[in-house]
This record gives sequence, C-alpha cells and structure tokens, in this order.
Amino acid sequence: MDTSQCVHCGLCLSACPTYAVTGLEVESPRGRLVLLNEWRQPEALHDPATAQWLDDCLDCRACESVCPAHVPTGHLVEQWRAQDRPTIPRNLTLMRGLGFFVGSTSGLRWFQRLSRWSRRPWGTRVARSVLARLPRTVGDLSHGLPQLSLQLSRETIGSDAPKPHSTVMFFVGCVMDAIYSESNRRTAELLRLAGYAVVTPSEQRCCGALHLHSGESQPVRIWAQENIRRFEESGADKVVVNAAGCGTTLKEYAALFAGEPQWEERARRFEDSVVDVTVLLAESMLPRVSPTGRVVTVHDACHHAHAQKIFREPRQLLARAGYTIHEMANSTQCCGSAGVYNLTHPDMSEALVAEKLASIPDGVTNVAAANPGCLLQIQAAARRSRRNVDVQHPVDLVWQAYHDAGYLPKQEVGTRG
Amino acid sequence: MADWQQELEAVVGAQHVLTHPNLLRAYSQDGYTLESAMPRAVVLPGSTEETQSVVRILARHGVPVVARGAGTSLSGGAIASQDSVILHFSRLNRIHQIDWTNRVTEVGPGVINADVSRALQPGGYFYAPDPSSQQACTIGGNFAENSGGPHCLKYGVTVNHVLMADVVLPNGEVRRFGNLAGDPDGPDWLGLLVGSEGTLGIATRLWLRMTPSPRASRTIAALFDSVAEASHAVSAVIAAGVIPAALEMMDRLAIFAVEKGAYPVGYPPDTAAVLLMEIDGEPLGVEAEAQQVLSLLEGFHVRQVKTAQSLEERNLWWANRKTAFGAMGLISPRYYVQDGVIPRHTLPIALDAIDSISAHYDIRIANVFHAGDGNLHPLLLYDDRDPREVSRVKRAGSEILRYCVELGGSITGEHGIGLEKLDEMRVQFSPEALLAHDAIKRVFDPAALFNPGKLLPTPGRCIDYDGPP
Ligand SMILES: Cc1cc2nc3c(=O)[nH]c(=O)nc-3n(C[C@H](O)[C@H](O)[C@H](O)COP(=O)(O)OP(=O)(O)OC[C@H]3O[C@@H](n4cnc5c(N)ncnc54)[C@H](O)[C@@H]3O)c2cc1C
Ligand code: SF4
Ligand code: SF4
Repeated sequence: MDTSQCVHCGLCLSACPTYAVTGLEVESPRGRLVLLNEWRQPEALHDPATAQWLDDCLDCRACESVCPAHVPTGHLVEQWRAQDRPTIPRNLTLMRGLGFFVGSTSGLRWFQRLSRWSRRPWGTRVARSVLARLPRTVGDLSHGLPQLSLQLSRETIGSDAPKPHSTVMFFVGCVMDAIYSESNRRTAELLRLAGYAVVTPSEQRCCGALHLHSGESQPVRIWAQENIRRFEESGADKVVVNAAGCGTTLKEYAALFAGEPQWEERARRFEDSVVDVTVLLAESMLPRVSPTGRVVTVHDACHHAHAQKIFREPRQLLARAGYTIHEMANSTQCCGSAGVYNLTHPDMSEALVAEKLASIPDGVTNVAAANPGCLLQIQAAARRSRRNVDVQHPVDLVWQAYHDAGYLPKQEVGTRG
Repeated sequence: MADWQQELEAVVGAQHVLTHPNLLRAYSQDGYTLESAMPRAVVLPGSTEETQSVVRILARHGVPVVARGAGTSLSGGAIASQDSVILHFSRLNRIHQIDWTNRVTEVGPGVINADVSRALQPGGYFYAPDPSSQQACTIGGNFAENSGGPHCLKYGVTVNHVLMADVVLPNGEVRRFGNLAGDPDGPDWLGLLVGSEGTLGIATRLWLRMTPSPRASRTIAALFDSVAEASHAVSAVIAAGVIPAALEMMDRLAIFAVEKGAYPVGYPPDTAAVLLMEIDGEPLGVEAEAQQVLSLLEGFHVRQVKTAQSLEERNLWWANRKTAFGAMGLISPRYYVQDGVIPRHTLPIALDAIDSISAHYDIRIANVFHAGDGNLHPLLLYDDRDPREVSRVKRAGSEILRYCVELGGSITGEHGIGLEKLDEMRVQFSPEALLAHDAIKRVFDPAALFNPGKLLPTPGRCIDYDGPP
C-alpha cells in the first residue's frame, strides 16, 4: 500500500467529512496523501499541525468507496498512526483505560457498572472521578446510553447444540456486550427464529478495532488469536457480528499476521467466515410481516457502507419486518463517532453529528444504526438538542416487529437495570 | 510575516489565512500532475465582501491571485502562479435559494456540481452540465472552465446554464453580469467571463438555470469488436437526426481500467469499444428514437446491444464511465489526459493517428470520448519517476493536439488551456488573434494579477506586443 497510486483527480474530496467541515485540502483524502508522502521525506517537518491534520482522519473510509484508483487512504492513515505518529499523551491514557475495560470480561463488567452509574445524578460524578483522565465528552455521551442490564449479554444468551450447516458463533463485541446487551439478546433470538443454532463462547475477546484505529496494535494480535481459537473450537460455520466496526476489523484479521504463514492462513479462514447479522438475516427465511405503517430512517455506519459495502441488507430486513423507510440525505456520511474519535476530537465530532441530526427527515422518530458508536453518538446528540428521536440497532426494530406480530415469545422481565 | 498577511487576517480571521509549508504543498497541484508550484499562502474567504477586500489588499501589494474550487482542473488552472496567493472557495459552498417559479438556483462558487442536481431532484429539475468530475468539482471551477459533460451534447455547456453572476474584478470592484431572463442586454460580458479560467474575474455568486428532468430515458450500451466500426455507428446515429442526450465511447484499454475500478459493469475484457447512448424526453418520443437507434445499430457489426433495465443499472453504467480517468491509477502510476476536438466524421482517422503516436513515443494510450461532439480524451499513461518518459508523454500529447487542429478541430473541448496548453495556443490562433486576447485581458487586468501565466501565452514568448491595437 502506498500513496503513489493516487492520480490526484480529487474525486474523493466531496466524500470526506473532515473536508466538508474544514474546507481544507489537508483535511481531505488527497491532501492527507500529500502529507503522508511529505512525512516520509528525509527533511520532513513533523510538527503538531501536520500530525493533527492526519490524525483528524475518521478512518470512515468514505474516500475508499469512491476512489476510482482504489487508494486505501483510511488504511494508510491508520498505518501511519501505528508506526509514525508522534505520541499524543491524551490518546495513550485513553487507550490504556480502554485496554483495561475492553480487554477482559471483568473489565467489561466495570465498564457496564460505570456506565450505569453515569445515568444517575450522582453517578456522573463518580464515574467521572474514576475516568478522571477522560475528556468531558464522556459525560456528554452518557446521555446517549440506553437502559442498562445487570449482566453481560454473553452470560445470558447461552449456546445451542450445533446443527449441521447452520451453526453460527455469535461475536458479542464489548460495547454491544455491556451496554447494548439487550440488542445482543434480541440478535440471538432472531438468529434462532431464522433457524440457526447459536454458539456464544464466553471467553471471546475484544475485536481490537478501537485500538487499531488509534494506532495501538500491540494487544490486538493476542486477542485475535484467541478469537480465532474460539471459532475453531466452536463447530460453527460462520461468525455473526452485529457491530459494523467489529465486523470490519474481524474481516481484516489476516493482515495482522502478514508473514506468519500458519496464523495468516487460520486468520484468513476466520475472516472468510465473518458475516454481518443484517446480511445473514436478510438472506435467511425470516417470515414477511405486512406493512405496519411504522416509519424508520437508516443511518449507514461507515464500517457498513464504506468498509464492508453493506447498504441494502439492513433496508431489506427492515422492509421485510413491515417498516416503511424514509431515506435521510447523505445516509452514508460519518456521524463523527468513529471509534473513540468523539473523545479525542470533540469539536470535529460535534460538527458532524449536528449535520447528521439535521438530515433526519422531519417527523421521523425511528433511526436505525448498526454500530454501537453511532447509536451512542446520535442518541446523545439528540437528547442534548432535545430532538425527539429514538436511535436503535436495526435488530431491535426488527425484533420488535416480529415480537408484535407474535413470532417471538414474550420478553422475560427483570433483565433491565 | 508579510504586511499583507496581517491585513488578510484582519479580514477573514487568522484561521483562514494559511502558510504552513506542508499545507502549501497540498495546494501545489490540481488534477494536472505534470507541473506543480507552491503558493505563498492560501486564503479561505467567507463571503463576496471578504473576497473583494482580499483582492484589494493583494492588488495593493502587487500579489497575484489564483482562485481554486475543488482543484480537479486537468490543465493546471488551479496551480499557483508565481508568488501568488490561492483563494480557496470551499467555505462559499451554500445553495442560497431555489426559485422554483422562475427556475433559477442561486449558489456560492464552492457548491459541488452534483449537489445542485441533488437539491433540485425532488422538484423534478436538474442542473444540466455534468462533467465526469461532477461529484467533486465546483460551480466556480465550472464557470471558469466552461465545463461540459456527457449530457451537454443535447443540453449545452456551462455558458448556456449560468444566467447571472457576481464577479470580483482585478481592480477590486464587484460587478453583476447577465440577468435572470438569460438574454444578454448589450455585449455578452457574462459569455466572455465564462471560460476565462479565472484570468478576468472571480465569481462569488452564481444564478443557474434549472432544467426540467426528462420524463423518460433509455440508456443503450453497444459493444463492438472494432473502434472504427463504433465510430461509423456514431456518425450514422447523428446523421439520422437523432440527438441523444449523451453519446460516449471507450476503447479497450479504457474498458480494462474501468472494469478494475470502483464500478465494474462486466464488459467482456476483449471488447474493442463500448458505445453508451442515452435518449431522453417524453415517453413516446424516447421509445421511438430508441427503436430507431436499435435498428440503425443492426446495420453494423455489433457484438452485443443492451438496454439498461433499471435506474440502478443505468447509474452503474454512468458511474463506470465517469470514473474512467481515475481508474487509470489502477493500470499506471500517472495519466495525462488530452482534450482535443475533431470534426466527428474524422474520428476513425484521428484514432489511427493516435495509435501511431502511441507506438512512436512508446506510450500506452487509452481513449475515452464524448463521441457525439467529437471531443477526444486520450489518456496517456506514464510513470512520473522516469524523466524521459515524462518528456515523451508531453511531446506525444502535444502532437495529438496539433493533429486535431490539422483535422480542422481545436486544442480543447472542455478542460481548458491552463498552464498545460500555452504552447498549443499558438498553433490554434494567429498572432493577431492572440493580440486581441491580450488586449481584452489588459482591459480587465492591466497589472496581470488574476491567474497570470495561464490561458494566454505571454506575448514576449512568441509575438512582440506593441500597445493596444
Ligand atoms: C476525473 C476527472 C474528470 C473530468 N471530467 C470533466 C468533464 O467531463 N468535463 C469537463 O469539462 N471537465 C472535466 N474535468 C475537469 C475539471 O473537473 C473541470 O474543469 C472543473 O470545472 C474544475 O472545477 P474545480 O472546482 O475543480 O476547479 P479548479 O480545478 O479548482 O479550478 C479550475 C479553474 O477555475 C478557476 N476558478 C475556480 N473557482 C473560481 C471562481 N470562483 N471564479 C473564477 N475562477 C475560478 C481556477 O482558477 C482554475 O483556473 C474532469 C476532471 C477530472 C479530475
Ligand atoms: S479519488 Fe483516489 S486517486 Fe483521486 S485524488 Fe482521491 S485518493 Fe487520489
Ligand atoms: S477515511 Fe474518512 S475522514 Fe479519513 S480521509 Fe477518508 S473520507 Fe476523510
């Protein structure tokens, strides 16, 4: 991968959210490629301004979707973050903190507890004193949290006996597992309704996306190896994931082991088995619900639309469940969440989410978004600006529709916190 | 810090006056990669008034000014002139008003071409000029280059669609040219300004014609085993009196590249030429014309004819065609696109000539054309790390243009002269004509502060300038 493949046509400019916000060539994909190239020159100027322009990249990969020469700008910036970026202390603290929370099951429980407290009037203070090093935006984001469960989803979903050719390993994610555990449980129910046996290994690890995007690749290889082992032991033919960001990372595991033939091969097999839940369900035999008149608009997570080219499936799935879709303008533009970007780049992130809110069609209150970062980001911004919208994972909306139509058993009581 | 810099900061704010060397580097090129030059600074004006003040300040200090939209120019128009300051119009990117009754859209110069059509679509209108770069290029850049696109065969180019414009002149005056009725009252100043490549004035607000979207359209793709056969088919379609909305052609190498690109259609790899035709208008007329074209095509050796079955399929075919230039990045480190025009009936001869130029200079050439109006886009593939190849590619490009003039055509269809074709201007125009150009330039810009060194070859280089004629 290198920058010289860019023919400087400029077709990517209008796709780039940071260019739209700043209007600066250096905040565009083409400009970032020039900067990356400059960075490598012998007498290069490695100053904070240049680093900032590069680091402002959301890794949303909108540019990669439109580039006719397939220049992997988002990947190249990510590579630069891992190898060349001068250390930014703020990010290091953040990543260490995150490493604790997402790196282990007990860390995740803490994460869940803190998030739950942060919803209480006194809790924000407690949570913030624990997370003292995190920027103020954490408090702001906590407004986006859903009702929280007391347990991680992996502890309640359970595993079925494998069925030939239709067994899936459920990759539960971290934020999905802890914060959106309800969505995870519903994902499992829908998979079962569609005829799949679901296996949920409790020792699975974080996919590593947040760390990779921030250029901290160290721990990720170890987590990847564990996830690959879990899959190999599970007897499943597919790995199902419902967070767009995790899906992208899981589908790029082989690159972590470039030059190590054995692991590369295992990682490649793993990669090929990963499938997004909306894709699997859209292709499945889920029943058709007649239109209910409920309206929804779809925000396409970057890691769906650009990185995995998933666009139609969530819509097909929602339509099959009886929803009417009102499209928002620029549905594939980044909402500014972008992993931990909203924590590291609050201003840019704020500008982007404001645009996202503005593009939700008037009168539409249901917004579907298939990534926990987007869910949190858009919901928090909506609450702050008192906009009456409910941002949900498409799985939740679809589950609700099947539930109302009598296809799913009554929800158990008592799991909500 | 230069005095003017502080003065500029006072007008637009310090954050909109940029001089960081790495940033200037990013602004040192546009879509034309054979040359580059660093500006002294980049300024992002936030309004017509700010633009006016900026121009005044820089004029007082004798600093040249180069306007920039998206920097997709293929002739170096947006590359910094010597010691110049770039005015980047990315902040003036608002669609101010859509007047549905009078069918006029009022926009800032930084508005992206495709965004205008997107905004008009719900009301059943579109903005007709559709350069292949429309997803990124700006209305200001279109204004300066008088840009065209596949659908301009039927609908006309930018000059036919800009009704009125506010323009900052080199002396710092702001003048409104044209009127909303679209009829020139007196000399057509607006017509002169459109296509002047930022050398006479800078547009800060534009009023655009809205065109009703056709009620029906049919898109036909015809695959040929020979380019010559495809060119004859083009002539036959035009001779039959059909005016397609678009009539486009790609040759084998171009097809090879786009099929590797972001929007593959599935053209078989050994196809020698694809002809894309679009017919639009009222449903019945469209149907009849499509039938006429289809039966005309039966008289030629066509390998396969397809009609787009859905809007999605049609859009895919166009996306495939419109990303042809960029897709060259997949088969070559760099490309140099030429932009010559020839009389349509000479297409087969011109293609033969391009073939032999390709062989003679040992440069691979892919061909994409707006076949309907004889506008050729040979894409010369080269590696910028090989200086000899760079010089061969420049000579080959120039030779193609000279041949276009010989055939009775011209050296540019729509990409402009910029830095790139200064030399060829002398092939196209007589010394007298060039003197006349220069006299016009002097009326507007006696101190040569607007985009100097572009479009007009310096008189000293070829002819002696001895005062106004
Ligand atoms: C892949 C690709 C495909 C293309 N296809 C086509 C095509 O089909 N048809 C076509 O016509 N062109 C095409 N072009 C060329 C280019 O896109 C057009 O010339 C376009 O109009 C340039 O717009 P821009 O905003 O990028 O302007 P820039 O490149 O930024 O500037 C172009 C010129 O306009 C001047 N300018 C910019 N803004 C203003 C302003 N507000 N007032 C006065 N002058 C100004 C600049 O000084 C410069 O001289 C293509 C380019 C690419 C890269
Ligand atoms: S679209 Fe691709 S080739 Fe064109 S400027 Fe952007 S990165 Fe470069
Ligand atoms: S990944 Fe997103 S933010 Fe980064 S350069 Fe590409 S479009 Fe811009």
